[in-house]
Amino acid sequence: MKKDSVSYVVAFTFLACAAFIVPLAIANEATKKRVESNRLFAAHSAALRAFGVSYGSPAEAESKYASLVSDLPDGKGFRAQIDGKAYIAVKKTGGGLWGSITMVVAADEKGERLQGIEILDQMETPGLGGRIDEDWFKKQFRGEKLGPEGLTIDTAGSGTGDGDPDNGRVDAVTGASLTSGFVQAIVNAAVKDIRATGGPK
Amino acid sequence: MKPSNAKIIKDGLWTNNPIFVQVLGICSTLAVTNNVRNTLIMIAGVTFATAFGSFTLSGIKGLLPRKVRMIIQVLVLSFYVILVDIVLRAYAPAISKQLGPYVGLIITNCILMGRAEAFAAANPPWASFIDGIANGLGYGVVLLAIAVVREFLGFGTLLGFRLAGDWFTPWTIMIMAPSAFFLVAMALWGSNSYNARAEARRKAAVAKAAPDRAAK
Repeated sequence: MKKDSVSYVVAFTFLACAAFIVPLAIANEATKKRVESNRLFAAHSAALRAFGVSYGSPAEAESKYASLVSDLPDGKGFRAQIDGKAYIAVKKTGGGLWGSITMVVAADEKGERLQGIEILDQMETPGLGGRIDEDWFKKQFRGEKLGPEGLTIDTAGSGTGDGDPDNGRVDAVTGASLTSGFVQAIVNAAVKDIRATGGPK
Repeated sequence: MKPSNAKIIKDGLWTNNPIFVQVLGICSTLAVTNNVRNTLIMIAGVTFATAFGSFTLSGIKGLLPRKVRMIIQVLVLSFYVILVDIVLRAYAPAISKQLGPYVGLIITNCILMGRAEAFAAANPPWASFIDGIANGLGYGVVLLAIAVVREFLGFGTLLGFRLAGDWFTPWTIMIMAPSAFFLVAMALWGSNSYNARAEARRKAAVAKAAPDRAAK
């Protein structure tokens, strides 16, 4: 058969596609479970961190998750019972500077104090807005008192972290007032959801 | 003429460096070089895909009909790129998430197609494999140099370890894409002027050795 004949070209292309795509499909299928459990672990561990539960290994995280946390019925968040107190966390996505920001925000059932926040996804400028994923920033939210509108992320702060949990404000990231504003909007929207879910029935 | 392995490696790393001389794969230098760790993974991915892609394409070049040559090249190269993507997603989810779409975009890195066309199409598989490795590393050395500068000046860290003290004010511009343009341009400038000077020296030496021939 000539190499440039139509039948050879069609047969060759068909066989080549099959030869390269079938192994890929197999590899994809073989790792599917692992990828799915990675995805679940990312969500579960973020929920645990937002609730303020520490864990060592991924296995420990999953067992703590299983014993303490349950999913909210609509899949929008999590409910947890920690030391006899009920907490709710919601997953919330809002606009960011370059793309959307997705966070897990946890508070007590009535939405009086934040329990903690965790960033699931963000595409903010690395080194500026991207610093919202740093521990000092997230730690400020732990136990922060919430006002009627939630809390304020204050751009006039020192930019090193606000230690007072009773003033309803945390420090913004220096040089990232816009990103800090977006985070504030997401947190406060999440607080509203938490109050709607867990507030007086 | 069959090129020797040493020449292939020297070509990829310096004489025919993909960034300095072929000016290929510039796009990815913008995306990942603000962080050394991501850069290393990118280099590994590009080197792997170029080497194995060239190897495979060179192996099947006798069977390849001309009409579908490019389609098959893309098919083979993307096969290896997707393989990298699948492995990262399953075994290094954090890195996979950070690199995001850039792993899949390795296929659009011109070095892959460039080497498949320029080298693998006319050379045996093993030489093509070495050529792929050499070009991946030639690309990698430049990328790494840029990443070191950008991460250090932009964050004050290297591979995530803090090197600069609290006095250090990070250069935000180093984290953003434009700084990669400046640095690539400066690196190109440096390598070109070095090569031009070496060429001038070589000519001068030739003229000295045979003065009457040079005079004519």
